[in-house]
Amino acid sequence: MYAVAAVLLLAVVFVPLPSLTLKGKGAVRGVMAPAERGFSSVWKRLADAGAAIRGMGGAAEKNRDLSLELVRVQAELSQLCDAEADNERLRRAFEFSRQKSYTMIPCNVVSRNISGWWSTVRLGKGTRDGIEENRPVISPDGLVGKVAEATPLTAEVLLVSDPACRVSAKISRSNTFGLVRGAGANLKGLPMARMEFIDKDKEVRVGDEVVTSGLSSAGGGFPKGVHIGYVDKVHRDDSGLYQYAEIIPRATVGLLDYVFVVAAHGPEGVK
Amino acid sequence: MTRRLLMLLTIGASALLQQLLPAWPLFGGVKPPLLAALALYYALRRDSRDMWLAVVTAALLQDGLDLGVFGPALLAFPMIGILAHRIRNEVFADGLVTQLVFGAAIGVFTTFIAILIHSASGQRPFHFGMASVRLLSSLWLGMAVLPLVSLSINKLEASLPQRRGYGWQ
Repeated sequence: MYAVAAVLLLAVVFVPLPSLTLKGKGAVRGVMAPAERGFSSVWKRLADAGAAIRGMGGAAEKNRDLSLELVRVQAELSQLCDAEADNERLRRAFEFSRQKSYTMIPCNVVSRNISGWWSTVRLGKGTRDGIEENRPVISPDGLVGKVAEATPLTAEVLLVSDPACRVSAKISRSNTFGLVRGAGANLKGLPMARMEFIDKDKEVRVGDEVVTSGLSSAGGGFPKGVHIGYVDKVHRDDSGLYQYAEIIPRATVGLLDYVFVVAAHGPEGVK
Repeated sequence: MTRRLLMLLTIGASALLQQLLPAWPLFGGVKPPLLAALALYYALRRDSRDMWLAVVTAALLQDGLDLGVFGPALLAFPMIGILAHRIRNEVFADGLVTQLVFGAAIGVFTTFIAILIHSASGQRPFHFGMASVRLLSSLWLGMAVLPLVSLSINKLEASLPQRRGYGWQ
Protein backbone atom coordinates (compact mmCIF):
# COMPACT_ATOMS: atom_id res chain seq x y z
CA MET A 1 0.00 0.00 0.00
CA TYR A 2 2.83 2.37 0.91
CA ALA A 3 4.54 1.61 -2.41
CA VAL A 4 1.40 2.46 -4.38
CA ALA A 5 0.91 5.65 -2.38
CA ALA A 6 4.56 6.60 -2.92
CA VAL A 7 4.33 6.01 -6.68
CA LEU A 8 1.13 8.08 -6.88
CA LEU A 9 2.69 10.91 -4.90
CA LEU A 10 5.85 10.94 -7.02
CA ALA A 11 3.73 10.98 -10.18
CA VAL A 12 1.70 13.94 -8.91
CA VAL A 13 4.85 15.85 -7.98
CA PHE A 14 7.14 15.13 -10.89
CA VAL A 15 4.90 14.52 -13.92
CA PRO A 16 4.49 17.97 -15.47
CA LEU A 17 0.76 18.38 -16.14
CA PRO A 18 0.09 22.11 -15.66
CA SER A 19 -3.60 21.96 -16.59
CA LEU A 20 -4.22 19.08 -14.18
CA THR A 21 -2.26 20.85 -11.44
CA LEU A 22 -4.33 23.98 -11.97
CA LYS A 23 -7.54 21.95 -11.83
CA GLY A 24 -6.41 20.39 -8.56
CA LYS A 25 -5.52 23.77 -7.13
CA GLY A 26 -8.83 25.16 -8.40
CA ALA A 27 -10.69 22.45 -6.49
CA VAL A 28 -8.78 23.11 -3.26
CA ARG A 29 -9.12 26.89 -3.56
CA GLY A 30 -12.79 26.58 -4.53
CA VAL A 31 -13.49 24.63 -1.35
CA MET A 32 -11.60 27.14 0.77
CA ALA A 33 -12.82 30.31 -0.99
CA PRO A 34 -16.05 30.89 1.01
CA ALA A 35 -14.20 30.33 4.30
CA GLU A 36 -11.39 32.64 3.20
CA ARG A 37 -13.87 35.38 2.31
CA GLY A 38 -15.63 35.06 5.65
CA PHE A 39 -12.37 34.90 7.60
CA SER A 40 -10.96 37.87 5.69
CA SER A 41 -14.09 39.93 6.37
CA VAL A 42 -14.02 39.12 10.10
CA TRP A 43 -10.28 39.87 10.27
CA LYS A 44 -10.74 43.27 8.60
CA ARG A 45 -13.48 44.17 11.06
CA LEU A 46 -11.28 43.15 13.97
CA ALA A 47 -8.38 45.17 12.55
CA ASP A 48 -10.65 48.21 12.15
CA ALA A 49 -11.91 47.83 15.71
CA GLY A 50 -8.32 47.51 16.96
CA ALA A 51 -7.34 50.66 15.10
CA ALA A 52 -10.29 52.51 16.62
CA ILE A 53 -9.37 51.33 20.14
CA ARG A 54 -5.77 52.49 19.70
CA GLY A 55 -7.28 55.97 19.60
CA MET A 56 -5.66 59.37 19.67
CA GLY A 57 -2.02 58.24 19.80
CA GLY A 58 -2.36 56.64 16.39
CA ALA A 59 -4.34 59.59 15.07
CA ALA A 60 -1.60 62.06 16.03
CA GLU A 61 1.01 59.92 14.31
CA LYS A 62 -1.20 59.62 11.24
CA ASN A 63 -1.74 63.39 11.21
CA ARG A 64 2.02 64.00 11.23
CA ASP A 65 2.53 61.53 8.37
CA LEU A 66 -0.28 63.10 6.37
CA SER A 67 1.17 66.61 6.88
CA LEU A 68 4.49 65.43 5.46
CA GLU A 69 2.71 63.69 2.61
CA LEU A 70 0.75 66.89 1.87
CA VAL A 71 3.94 68.92 1.47
CA ARG A 72 5.36 66.34 -0.93
CA VAL A 73 2.14 66.06 -2.92
CA GLN A 74 1.84 69.86 -3.25
CA ALA A 75 5.37 70.02 -4.67
CA GLU A 76 4.57 67.23 -7.11
CA LEU A 77 1.25 68.83 -8.05
CA SER A 78 2.88 72.09 -9.09
CA GLN A 79 5.24 70.14 -11.36
CA LEU A 80 2.42 68.01 -12.72
CA CYS A 81 0.30 71.06 -13.57
CA ASP A 82 3.08 72.33 -15.84
CA ALA A 83 3.50 68.89 -17.38
CA GLU A 84 -0.24 68.52 -17.93
CA ALA A 85 -0.41 71.91 -19.67
CA ASP A 86 2.46 70.91 -21.96
CA ASN A 87 0.84 67.54 -22.56
CA GLU A 88 -2.51 69.05 -23.54
CA ARG A 89 -0.88 71.50 -25.90
CA LEU A 90 1.13 68.76 -27.62
CA ARG A 91 -1.86 66.43 -27.87
CA ARG A 92 -3.95 69.08 -29.55
CA ALA A 93 -1.08 70.00 -31.83
CA PHE A 94 -0.54 66.46 -33.05
CA GLU A 95 -4.20 65.50 -32.89
CA PHE A 96 -3.54 62.46 -30.77
CA SER A 97 -6.59 60.71 -29.51
CA ARG A 98 -6.89 60.16 -25.78
CA GLN A 99 -5.44 56.93 -24.54
CA LYS A 100 -8.02 54.20 -24.47
CA SER A 101 -9.15 53.55 -20.90
CA TYR A 102 -8.50 50.19 -19.35
CA THR A 103 -11.22 47.80 -18.36
CA MET A 104 -10.55 47.11 -14.72
CA ILE A 105 -12.08 44.44 -12.47
CA PRO A 106 -12.24 45.43 -8.80
CA CYS A 107 -11.28 42.54 -6.51
CA ASN A 108 -10.91 42.10 -2.78
CA VAL A 109 -7.86 40.42 -1.31
CA VAL A 110 -8.96 37.36 0.66
CA SER A 111 -5.67 35.91 1.85
CA ARG A 112 -1.90 35.85 1.63
CA ASN A 113 0.63 33.15 0.83
CA ILE A 114 0.46 30.06 3.03
CA SER A 115 4.10 28.94 3.05
CA GLY A 116 6.08 32.18 2.92
CA TRP A 117 7.98 30.92 -0.13
CA TRP A 118 6.20 33.35 -2.45
CA SER A 119 5.13 36.96 -2.22
CA THR A 120 1.55 36.47 -3.30
CA VAL A 121 -1.99 37.46 -2.38
CA ARG A 122 -5.21 35.68 -3.35
CA LEU A 123 -8.14 37.55 -4.85
CA GLY A 124 -11.77 36.64 -4.33
CA LYS A 125 -12.50 36.57 -8.08
CA GLY A 126 -11.31 34.24 -10.81
CA THR A 127 -11.84 33.18 -14.41
CA ARG A 128 -15.64 33.29 -13.95
CA ASP A 129 -15.30 37.05 -13.49
CA GLY A 130 -13.06 37.46 -16.53
CA ILE A 131 -9.67 37.31 -14.83
CA GLU A 132 -6.94 35.63 -16.87
CA GLU A 133 -3.36 34.65 -16.14
CA ASN A 134 -0.59 37.22 -16.64
CA ARG A 135 -2.97 40.19 -16.39
CA PRO A 136 -1.53 43.19 -14.54
CA VAL A 137 -2.88 44.04 -11.09
CA ILE A 138 -2.88 47.64 -9.91
CA SER A 139 -4.13 49.65 -6.95
CA PRO A 140 -4.51 53.39 -6.31
CA ASP A 141 -0.94 53.27 -4.93
CA GLY A 142 0.49 51.81 -8.14
CA LEU A 143 1.52 48.46 -9.58
CA VAL A 144 0.77 45.48 -7.36
CA GLY A 145 1.89 42.58 -9.59
CA LYS A 146 0.41 40.17 -12.07
CA VAL A 147 -2.02 37.25 -12.01
CA ALA A 148 0.09 34.10 -11.74
CA GLU A 149 -2.66 31.49 -11.47
CA ALA A 150 -6.36 31.91 -12.14
CA THR A 151 -8.96 29.36 -11.04
CA PRO A 152 -12.75 29.73 -11.45
CA LEU A 153 -13.28 31.38 -8.06
CA THR A 154 -9.89 32.82 -7.12
CA ALA A 155 -6.77 34.35 -8.63
CA GLU A 156 -3.24 34.20 -7.23
CA VAL A 157 -1.34 37.47 -7.69
CA LEU A 158 2.45 37.43 -7.79
CA LEU A 159 3.51 40.69 -6.13
CA VAL A 160 6.06 42.96 -7.76
CA SER A 161 8.35 42.31 -4.76
CA ASP A 162 8.63 38.58 -5.58
CA PRO A 163 11.90 37.60 -7.29
CA ALA A 164 9.91 35.76 -9.98
CA CYS A 165 8.11 38.97 -11.03
CA ARG A 166 9.79 41.07 -13.72
CA VAL A 167 8.46 44.30 -15.19
CA SER A 168 9.87 46.54 -17.89
CA ALA A 169 10.15 49.99 -16.32
CA LYS A 170 11.53 53.46 -16.75
CA ILE A 171 12.55 56.36 -14.58
CA SER A 172 9.96 58.99 -15.40
CA ARG A 173 12.23 62.02 -14.82
CA SER A 174 14.95 60.99 -17.24
CA ASN A 175 13.07 58.48 -19.41
CA THR A 176 15.73 55.88 -18.58
CA PHE A 177 14.67 52.29 -19.18
CA GLY A 178 15.43 49.20 -17.10
CA LEU A 179 13.96 46.00 -15.70
CA VAL A 180 12.33 45.87 -12.27
CA ARG A 181 12.72 42.54 -10.48
CA GLY A 182 11.39 41.69 -7.02
CA ALA A 183 13.92 41.37 -4.19
CA GLY A 184 11.78 39.95 -1.37
CA ALA A 185 11.58 41.90 1.87
CA ASN A 186 14.17 43.66 4.00
CA LEU A 187 14.65 42.98 7.71
CA LYS A 188 11.97 45.55 8.57
CA GLY A 189 9.52 43.57 6.47
CA LEU A 190 9.27 46.20 3.75
CA PRO A 191 8.91 44.74 0.26
CA MET A 192 11.84 45.53 -1.99
CA ALA A 193 12.51 45.51 -5.71
CA ARG A 194 15.51 46.27 -7.86
CA MET A 195 15.66 48.13 -11.15
CA GLU A 196 18.40 46.53 -13.23
CA PHE A 197 20.06 47.09 -16.59
CA ILE A 198 20.06 50.87 -16.26
CA ASP A 199 22.54 52.50 -18.63
CA LYS A 200 25.43 53.50 -16.37
CA ASP A 201 25.90 56.79 -18.22
CA LYS A 202 22.39 57.92 -17.22
CA GLU A 203 21.97 59.83 -13.99
CA VAL A 204 19.71 58.19 -11.41
CA ARG A 205 18.82 60.07 -8.23
CA VAL A 206 17.41 58.87 -4.92
CA GLY A 207 13.71 59.75 -4.95
CA ASP A 208 13.24 59.34 -8.70
CA GLU A 209 9.88 57.87 -9.61
CA VAL A 210 9.88 54.50 -11.38
CA VAL A 211 6.91 53.68 -13.63
CA THR A 212 6.03 50.88 -16.03
CA SER A 213 7.38 51.41 -19.54
CA GLY A 214 4.60 49.49 -21.30
CA LEU A 215 7.19 47.36 -23.11
CA SER A 216 6.67 44.07 -21.20
CA SER A 217 6.12 41.26 -23.66
CA ALA A 218 4.88 38.53 -21.31
CA GLY A 219 1.16 37.76 -21.47
CA GLY A 220 -0.99 40.87 -21.60
CA GLY A 221 1.88 43.22 -20.72
CA PHE A 222 1.69 46.02 -18.19
CA PRO A 223 -0.05 49.32 -18.94
CA LYS A 224 2.25 52.25 -19.54
CA GLY A 225 3.03 54.82 -16.86
CA VAL A 226 1.79 52.95 -13.77
CA HIS A 227 3.67 53.98 -10.64
CA ILE A 228 5.93 51.25 -9.22
CA GLY A 229 7.91 53.08 -6.55
CA TYR A 230 10.67 55.55 -5.76
CA VAL A 231 14.41 54.97 -5.98
CA ASP A 232 15.80 54.25 -2.52
CA LYS A 233 19.48 53.55 -3.30
CA VAL A 234 21.64 53.65 -6.41
CA HIS A 235 24.48 51.17 -6.98
CA ARG A 236 27.11 51.98 -9.58
CA ASP A 237 29.74 49.54 -10.77
CA ASP A 238 32.51 51.29 -12.66
CA SER A 239 33.69 48.08 -14.28
CA GLY A 240 30.22 47.01 -15.47
CA LEU A 241 27.95 48.15 -18.28
CA TYR A 242 24.97 48.88 -16.11
CA GLN A 243 23.96 50.35 -12.78
CA TYR A 244 21.05 49.26 -10.62
CA ALA A 245 18.72 50.95 -8.18
CA GLU A 246 16.83 49.64 -5.16
CA ILE A 247 13.22 50.68 -5.05
CA ILE A 248 10.38 50.26 -2.59
CA PRO A 249 7.22 49.11 -4.41
CA ARG A 250 4.73 51.21 -2.49
CA ALA A 251 1.56 49.40 -3.56
CA THR A 252 2.64 46.15 -1.91
CA VAL A 253 3.40 47.67 1.51
CA GLY A 254 0.97 46.46 4.18
CA LEU A 255 -2.06 44.26 3.73
CA LEU A 256 -3.94 45.14 0.56
CA ASP A 257 -7.71 45.36 0.77
CA TYR A 258 -8.84 46.08 -2.76
CA VAL A 259 -6.99 45.90 -6.06
CA PHE A 260 -7.90 46.11 -9.72
CA VAL A 261 -7.10 43.55 -12.38
CA VAL A 262 -6.57 45.11 -15.80
CA ALA A 263 -8.86 42.93 -17.89
CA ALA A 264 -8.24 44.28 -21.37
CA HIS A 265 -6.70 47.31 -22.95
CA GLY A 266 -6.03 48.57 -26.42
CA PRO A 267 -2.67 49.40 -27.93
CA GLU A 268 -1.34 52.55 -26.35
CA GLY A 269 -0.45 55.62 -28.26
CA VAL A 270 -2.16 54.31 -31.38
CA LYS A 271 -5.15 56.06 -32.72
CA MET B 1 -17.41 10.66 13.14
CA THR B 2 -17.63 13.83 15.22
CA ARG B 3 -13.93 13.68 16.01
CA ARG B 4 -13.06 13.06 12.38
CA LEU B 5 -15.18 16.02 11.33
CA LEU B 6 -13.59 18.12 14.06
CA MET B 7 -10.17 17.03 12.80
CA LEU B 8 -10.97 18.18 9.26
CA LEU B 9 -12.44 21.46 10.48
CA THR B 10 -9.38 22.07 12.64
CA ILE B 11 -7.09 21.46 9.67
CA GLY B 12 -9.16 23.85 7.51
CA ALA B 13 -9.11 26.54 10.19
CA SER B 14 -5.36 26.10 10.61
CA ALA B 15 -4.86 26.63 6.88
CA LEU B 16 -6.73 29.94 7.14
CA LEU B 17 -4.72 30.94 10.21
CA GLN B 18 -1.39 29.98 8.64
CA GLN B 19 -2.14 32.23 5.67
CA LEU B 20 -2.87 35.10 7.99
CA LEU B 21 0.30 34.75 10.08
CA PRO B 22 3.17 37.03 9.11
CA ALA B 23 6.25 35.72 7.30
CA TRP B 24 9.07 37.24 9.34
CA PRO B 25 12.04 38.31 7.22
CA LEU B 26 14.35 37.37 10.12
CA PHE B 27 13.23 33.75 9.64
CA GLY B 28 13.85 33.86 5.90
CA GLY B 29 10.14 34.41 5.24
CA VAL B 30 9.16 31.00 6.62
CA LYS B 31 5.73 30.86 8.24
CA PRO B 32 4.93 28.88 11.40
CA PRO B 33 4.11 25.34 10.15
CA LEU B 34 0.64 24.93 11.67
CA LEU B 35 -0.59 22.41 9.09
CA ALA B 36 2.56 20.30 9.39
CA ALA B 37 2.21 20.29 13.17
CA LEU B 38 -1.43 19.21 12.95
CA ALA B 39 -0.62 16.40 10.53
CA LEU B 40 2.02 15.18 12.95
CA TYR B 41 -0.28 15.54 15.96
CA TYR B 42 -2.88 13.25 14.39
CA ALA B 43 -0.23 10.81 13.10
CA LEU B 44 1.02 10.35 16.66
CA ARG B 45 -2.40 9.84 18.21
CA ARG B 46 -4.92 8.41 15.77
CA ASP B 47 -5.40 5.17 13.84
CA SER B 48 -4.02 4.56 10.38
CA ARG B 49 -7.11 5.75 8.49
CA ASP B 50 -7.30 9.02 10.40
CA MET B 51 -3.56 9.51 10.01
CA TRP B 52 -3.82 9.27 6.23
CA LEU B 53 -6.89 11.51 6.16
CA ALA B 54 -5.16 14.18 8.24
CA VAL B 55 -1.83 13.98 6.44
CA VAL B 56 -3.29 14.07 2.91
CA THR B 57 -5.82 16.81 3.72
CA ALA B 58 -3.16 19.01 5.33
CA ALA B 59 -0.73 18.40 2.45
CA LEU B 60 -3.37 19.11 -0.21
CA LEU B 61 -4.35 22.34 1.52
CA GLN B 62 -0.74 23.47 1.96
CA ASP B 63 0.23 22.78 -1.66
CA GLY B 64 -3.14 23.65 -3.17
CA LEU B 65 -3.22 27.10 -1.58
CA ASP B 66 0.42 27.78 -2.47
CA LEU B 67 1.82 28.91 -5.80
CA GLY B 68 3.73 26.46 -8.00
CA VAL B 69 3.59 22.71 -8.30
CA PHE B 70 2.02 20.22 -5.92
CA GLY B 71 4.89 18.63 -4.06
CA PRO B 72 6.65 20.01 -1.01
CA ALA B 73 3.94 19.15 1.51
CA LEU B 74 2.56 16.22 -0.46
CA LEU B 75 5.94 14.50 -0.19
CA ALA B 76 7.06 15.64 3.25
CA PHE B 77 3.88 15.25 5.33
CA PRO B 78 3.19 11.57 4.47
CA MET B 79 6.84 10.59 5.03
CA ILE B 80 6.97 12.13 8.51
CA GLY B 81 3.41 10.98 9.18
CA ILE B 82 4.19 7.35 8.39
CA LEU B 83 7.35 7.45 10.50
CA ALA B 84 5.55 9.03 13.46
CA HIS B 85 2.64 6.59 13.14
CA ARG B 86 4.96 3.57 13.14
CA ILE B 87 6.78 4.56 16.31
CA ARG B 88 3.85 6.13 18.15
CA ASN B 89 3.67 3.25 20.64
CA GLU B 90 7.33 3.65 21.55
CA VAL B 91 7.26 7.36 22.30
CA PHE B 92 5.30 9.47 24.76
CA ALA B 93 3.27 11.61 22.35
CA ASP B 94 2.53 14.31 24.93
CA GLY B 95 6.12 14.51 26.16
CA LEU B 96 7.86 17.81 25.53
CA VAL B 97 11.04 16.18 24.21
CA THR B 98 9.07 14.08 21.70
CA GLN B 99 7.25 17.14 20.46
CA LEU B 100 10.39 19.23 20.20
CA VAL B 101 12.18 16.51 18.22
CA PHE B 102 9.25 15.77 15.90
CA GLY B 103 8.42 19.46 15.49
CA ALA B 104 11.99 20.20 14.45
CA ALA B 105 12.02 17.18 12.14
CA ILE B 106 8.86 18.07 10.25
CA GLY B 107 9.87 21.73 9.99
CA VAL B 108 13.30 20.96 8.57
CA PHE B 109 12.12 18.11 6.36
CA THR B 110 9.28 20.11 4.76
CA THR B 111 11.61 23.03 4.06
CA PHE B 112 14.32 20.71 2.71
CA ILE B 113 11.87 19.09 0.27
CA ALA B 114 10.56 22.54 -0.74
CA ILE B 115 14.11 23.76 -1.43
CA LEU B 116 14.80 20.65 -3.53
CA ILE B 117 11.60 20.93 -5.58
CA HIS B 118 11.79 24.69 -6.09
CA SER B 119 15.45 24.50 -7.12
CA ALA B 120 14.97 21.47 -9.39
CA SER B 121 11.95 23.00 -11.13
CA GLY B 122 13.70 26.34 -11.55
CA GLN B 123 11.01 28.23 -9.65
CA ARG B 124 13.53 29.58 -7.13
CA PRO B 125 17.30 29.70 -7.68
CA PHE B 126 19.27 27.85 -4.99
CA HIS B 127 21.03 30.22 -2.61
CA PHE B 128 23.08 28.50 0.10
CA GLY B 129 22.79 31.32 2.66
CA MET B 130 19.03 31.71 2.29
CA ALA B 131 18.52 27.93 2.29
CA SER B 132 20.48 27.65 5.57
CA VAL B 133 18.48 30.46 7.19
CA ARG B 134 15.23 28.83 6.11
CA LEU B 135 16.23 25.39 7.38
CA LEU B 136 17.33 26.80 10.72
CA SER B 137 14.17 28.90 11.01
CA SER B 138 11.98 25.91 10.19
CA LEU B 139 13.73 23.95 12.93
CA TRP B 140 12.97 26.62 15.54
CA LEU B 141 9.46 27.30 14.32
CA GLY B 142 8.63 23.57 14.20
CA MET B 143 9.89 23.15 17.77
CA ALA B 144 7.82 26.11 18.93
CA VAL B 145 4.62 25.28 17.08
CA LEU B 146 4.09 21.54 17.70
CA PRO B 147 3.85 21.79 21.53
CA LEU B 148 1.43 24.72 21.22
CA VAL B 149 -0.72 22.90 18.67
CA SER B 150 -0.71 19.71 20.77
CA LEU B 151 -1.75 21.60 23.89
CA SER B 152 -4.57 23.40 22.06
CA ILE B 153 -5.96 20.30 20.34
CA ASN B 154 -5.69 18.23 23.55
CA LYS B 155 -7.79 20.86 25.35
CA LEU B 156 -10.26 21.02 22.47
CA GLU B 157 -10.68 17.23 22.37
CA ALA B 158 -10.91 17.00 26.16
CA SER B 159 -13.92 19.30 26.03
CA LEU B 160 -15.77 16.80 23.81
CA PRO B 161 -17.77 13.91 25.28
CA GLN B 162 -15.55 10.84 25.79
CA ARG B 163 -16.00 7.83 23.55
CA ARG B 164 -14.71 4.33 24.18
CA GLY B 165 -12.85 2.13 21.76
CA TYR B 166 -11.94 4.83 19.34
CA GLY B 167 -9.00 3.82 17.16
CA TRP B 168 -5.85 2.70 18.93
CA GLN B 169 -6.73 4.72 22.02
